[in-house]
Amino acid sequence: MVMEFILYRRLSRWLVCAAVLAMVSLAGCDQLDPMWKDHLGLVDKPVPIRVGILHSETGTMSISETPLRDTELMAIAEINAAGGVLGRPIEPIVKDGRSRDDLFVKRARSLLEDYGLQTVFGCWTSSSRKAVTPLFEQEDALLFYPLQYEGNEASKNLFYFGSTPNQQILPAIDWFLSDAGGNRKKIYLVGSDYIYPRTAHYIVRKYLEGKEMEVVGESFAPLGSRDFGAIVSQILISKADLVLSTINGDSNVDFYQQFHQLAIQAGIDSDKLPIVATSVGENELRSLLPELVQGHYVAASYFQSVDSSINRRFVQAFKKEYGEDRVTDDPMDAAYVQVYLWKAAVEAAGSTDPQKIREALEKTIEFDGPGGKVRIDPRNHHFYKKFRLGRINGNRQFDIVHESPELIQPEPFPSFAFPGWECDWTKDGLKKGDPVSLDP
Amino acid sequence: MFYWIYDIPSPKLALLLAVGFALISWLGTIFVRPILRLFVRRRHDVNDIVGYILSCFGVFYGLLLGLLAVASYQNFENVEGIVADEAASLSALVRDVTAYPEPERQNLLWLLRDYTRYVVKDAWPLQRRGIVPEGGNVRMVAFHERLLKFEPKTAGQEIIHAEALGQFNKYLEARRKRLFSVTTSIPAAMWYVVLVGAVMNIALVWLFDMRLVSHLFLGGLLSAFMGMMIFLIASLDNPFRGELSISSEPFQAILEQLMEE
Repeated sequence: MVMEFILYRRLSRWLVCAAVLAMVSLAGCDQLDPMWKDHLGLVDKPVPIRVGILHSETGTMSISETPLRDTELMAIAEINAAGGVLGRPIEPIVKDGRSRDDLFVKRARSLLEDYGLQTVFGCWTSSSRKAVTPLFEQEDALLFYPLQYEGNEASKNLFYFGSTPNQQILPAIDWFLSDAGGNRKKIYLVGSDYIYPRTAHYIVRKYLEGKEMEVVGESFAPLGSRDFGAIVSQILISKADLVLSTINGDSNVDFYQQFHQLAIQAGIDSDKLPIVATSVGENELRSLLPELVQGHYVAASYFQSVDSSINRRFVQAFKKEYGEDRVTDDPMDAAYVQVYLWKAAVEAAGSTDPQKIREALEKTIEFDGPGGKVRIDPRNHHFYKKFRLGRINGNRQFDIVHESPELIQPEPFPSFAFPGWECDWTKDGLKKGDPVSLDP
Repeated sequence: MFYWIYDIPSPKLALLLAVGFALISWLGTIFVRPILRLFVRRRHDVNDIVGYILSCFGVFYGLLLGLLAVASYQNFENVEGIVADEAASLSALVRDVTAYPEPERQNLLWLLRDYTRYVVKDAWPLQRRGIVPEGGNVRMVAFHERLLKFEPKTAGQEIIHAEALGQFNKYLEARRKRLFSVTTSIPAAMWYVVLVGAVMNIALVWLFDMRLVSHLFLGGLLSAFMGMMIFLIASLDNPFRGELSISSEPFQAILEQLMEE
């Protein structure tokens, strides 16, 4: 009895000592499986940096906007695979604006207030961008906007990665005025009925004042409209020799179909009456049969057919990720570039604070993207970009017929259209000129 | 409860639970047994009494563990069936869509690919964490919108379109069932009963009067087996969690097919 008790006491001590030793060695062991270390609380997982992605995944704009979501997610995945930003992974929070401005506001509010995000990549239509801008200004968060747009806007909380009219529409018109473009004299303007087309048409009308091209007609169709019969008839009656289309979303499918049908009936082909579009890219062309669009033009900064090693890598990576039949287009290039520029700015600032990111971006960060080099204009948060004019070929791709030799400086407030308006965030900010009426 | 166990590879988890339970048994045998022996005052028939109580308790506890193991396995199999049905339904939808004329065919296939890709690459990892994935919903809505925009021009197209719409609805049902199963699991109250029962079982073993080495060996063996049983139930519970979970393989096969279309 006594012996058993003594043995029992000794054994207990040894077991306690062994248990303590085991725990100490476990805690100090470098060879321990990281997963076990996690469970023991020995390793801190880096806290992800959360960013928002806000596009229309459903509704009339989904045809155009879902590829932007995919591109932004691909860029984020690439960055995460390379170690993230400041050693932290990026966690995207994706929301669907459903092609409705009111829902864009609701989703943006949720991203900024419920999730507490400071950076969002998003929007396509100018109406959705304008709807959410006050929220970003109020919360001092940053919105990275990847679309070509009408200009006439400046916000310290926005970075505009798309082309302004002087980088996209006006060089296209200049080309059509030249010998190479056929010295066109009569232009018809057709667009979706919202801010971008209305402002873009206004800028075109002002630009053409005193030039050898006349605006012979102008029509607008509601966003998402499917009936273009009357508008196409007006175009054909007007005897225009060039159509500028600022139609957005899947309305483009119906417009090109009906244009082709009626133009063929009238004996007019794309050489005689070409359409130059500003919101059509390789993605929209997927929904159209090649014979409906072949020979027409698109003004942009990027086409999938841009011949550069960076672009080839970008296209290849996208196809590998999403499928061989997927295509890349101009807004996707901007969407891709904006994520990388944000990363560069966060790394330069050493912080995700919007104010510090803004300051870093304003220090002229350059980036070599699929469409070539881009450089920020710190005065107005827009980007120096190239202009390219593409002619649609039988593969629903573009033959680049013209390319600007240099990067074009962005002009969100062209003086001939918005006299007195200027923006310089490095000095006095936005200087307002006379109020402007967009009506003809 | 205890969801972290699903992050541990199955062999390690099995070992952890078996060793953990044996350790509890051993520690109790060493530290608690002397106190309990005082409690039963070294009666000569203590082993008979404890053995009788332990066998009664063992019947109830064994039944509980056995029924739970069977229920978990059946649930696992059931959810596996739901996933297989869903994949089959999606595959049929893909077949229907390939019959559409261009360019609708390409656009619809692209949307289905986008959805399937999401299921494989995003939804499944979320399900493994017990989160019901939401991103598939918008992708299904986008597909439905595109499907509804198609206007059949021939009688053949009308038949294909009607079939595709019907198949789409069937698919939605199957998908909904899968999403409902993401959070299916044994109720927490039942787990508490299992764990408390396990501790009581081990505590009864501590009451036996025998040589220390024999006690350690027999108690450890019984406890390790209980740990293994609990490992089995835990692995089969939450069918989308852990290493022993339902895989996204059926969807991966469809995705590979769609990537080639």
